Amino acid sequence: MPLGLVALVAVGVHSAADTLDDRLLALVDRVDAAFDAFVGRYALTAPLVEWVSLEQRTRIARFLALAWELCADLVLALPALGYRESSAPAPVEAWRAVLEPPAARPTWRALWTRCLRKPTPTRWLRPLATTAVVLAGACAVGKLIQGSVYLSWRELFGDAAADVAARALAVAGLVGVLVSLGWRAVLRNLQHADALCEEAGGRRAWRRGLPGCAVVVPLAVAAVMDAAPVLSFFR
Amino acid sequence: MFPRRVKGLLDFCMATLCLWAAYHHTPAGALVRKAAAWATGTRSSARPLLAYYDGVSGTSVTSPLVAPELPLARRLTDAEALAWGTHLALKSVDDRAREPVLALASELGVSSAALLDVKEGPGAAGTLHAALAKDFPGDEARLTALFAGRVPARYALERVRAEGGAPTLERLASQLPPGFEDASVGAAQALALATAFGLAWPVHESARVTSPFGERHHPVLGRRKLHTGVDLGVPVGTAVVAVADGVVRRASEDAVNGRVLVVDHGRGVTTAYCHNSELLVTVGQRVTRGQRVARSGDTGRSTGPHLHYQLELAARPMDPLKFRTALRSVAKDAAP
Repeated sequence: MPLGLVALVAVGVHSAADTLDDRLLALVDRVDAAFDAFVGRYALTAPLVEWVSLEQRTRIARFLALAWELCADLVLALPALGYRESSAPAPVEAWRAVLEPPAARPTWRALWTRCLRKPTPTRWLRPLATTAVVLAGACAVGKLIQGSVYLSWRELFGDAAADVAARALAVAGLVGVLVSLGWRAVLRNLQHADALCEEAGGRRAWRRGLPGCAVVVPLAVAAVMDAAPVLSFFR
Repeated sequence: MFPRRVKGLLDFCMATLCLWAAYHHTPAGALVRKAAAWATGTRSSARPLLAYYDGVSGTSVTSPLVAPELPLARRLTDAEALAWGTHLALKSVDDRAREPVLALASELGVSSAALLDVKEGPGAAGTLHAALAKDFPGDEARLTALFAGRVPARYALERVRAEGGAPTLERLASQLPPGFEDASVGAAQALALATAFGLAWPVHESARVTSPFGERHHPVLGRRKLHTGVDLGVPVGTAVVAVADGVVRRASEDAVNGRVLVVDHGRGVTTAYCHNSELLVTVGQRVTRGQRVARSGDTGRSTGPHLHYQLELAARPMDPLKFRTALRSVAKDAAP
């Protein structure tokens, strides 16, 4: 299960990162233009203007997208490895509950209450970002199922049957992934963000995990805007 | 709602699906595939890590592009440009990427040797395009059909329509399951080459080519260096126009290129205009073919008034004269 959660988040993060590379290229272009203008002022550094060609700028943009994706994987996917399935605690006698408090992880309700009472960027943004990339990941899985099923089953069952089966399985995959893994990935990230903030405590909890949030929030926005065509599976 | 065991099986299936998707769909999966191939001594099917971000410049071209060997005798129509692009792309892609094209060629009775022939190639590629034109009226969908096959292309087209938006090559390729990467590269090359054939010229047709594309003795640096564009001898203040519709990606000034403009035309085609005296557009601005974008000059590392015009296909510099529709040679241009 933890590996499945890591894979789902990784697929979603990649789908989002794939939509950002053109914007990264525009950014690299602007930075390179500023760099060229600066080094071009002095005779000694003027040859550096030709240091980065268009091909290299494209490579740099792609490399940045890869680095961004791997950083986002570290922030959102890696905590999923700590996911452990546990049953709801069995009712115990009152005296036992006082003497041996349960060591189980906080529930949705407890985490939600803490989010409301002690709000921090990490507590709110990481689970929301996870929700976005999980949605993009589920769409990527659905797309992969639909394409693979349609193109491989078409010759066996005919065009119409393969089309219906591919659509049905894609929707089943999309819903199945969200119902089975999606909420677990979000819960695990919420637990992780909560643990980080609790560990820091007080005002430091507000700053804890901010760089990670800065990495994942743009990807989350891209995931929702460009990489989660949920309705396309029903058209 | 479900018994515990059924839920466990469902969770297992979904986790396996996600692992499968990550294995085929992400750079991390590519690393695992490469490691597995290395351990078993087999050939990895994973693409290079950076090729997983093929949105950049609109294409994912990785193999070297081939320019036309023979000069063009006349102006090409859009259909002819596409056929030329297809023919040249077929020459540069590997055998696996050619398979769907050759299958269609044999279906239509076109010989595979003709497709790769310098003289007959464009005509043979044109026959294939004509056969697909009814089902795939758009250039990008037709190229996908040619390089990936009709059925995958039709499927990709329907998926893009369901998602909404224009069926660009990049979006069509993103709909195809693993195994079609080579096809996407072939189609992207063909599209970039075909687009290059349709470009206009940045200054008036009579402008002399004072320095052609290729290795040369640099007039300022005094050593051999690749000249990545062509120098067009024009007086300061000559109007420089955009060679096709596009978006300005760069409008800046530095000591080497002077006032420089880079325009992204999409489909993997970028043009650059250097040493201008004045830039008339700004970064992010959309320009149209023939729109005045700059005034030529003598800024930056330059020995006299000229325009350095550079054409890049899939971020690689190419000789713009190879794609020029008018018949003219560098020798003729360079003559006094």
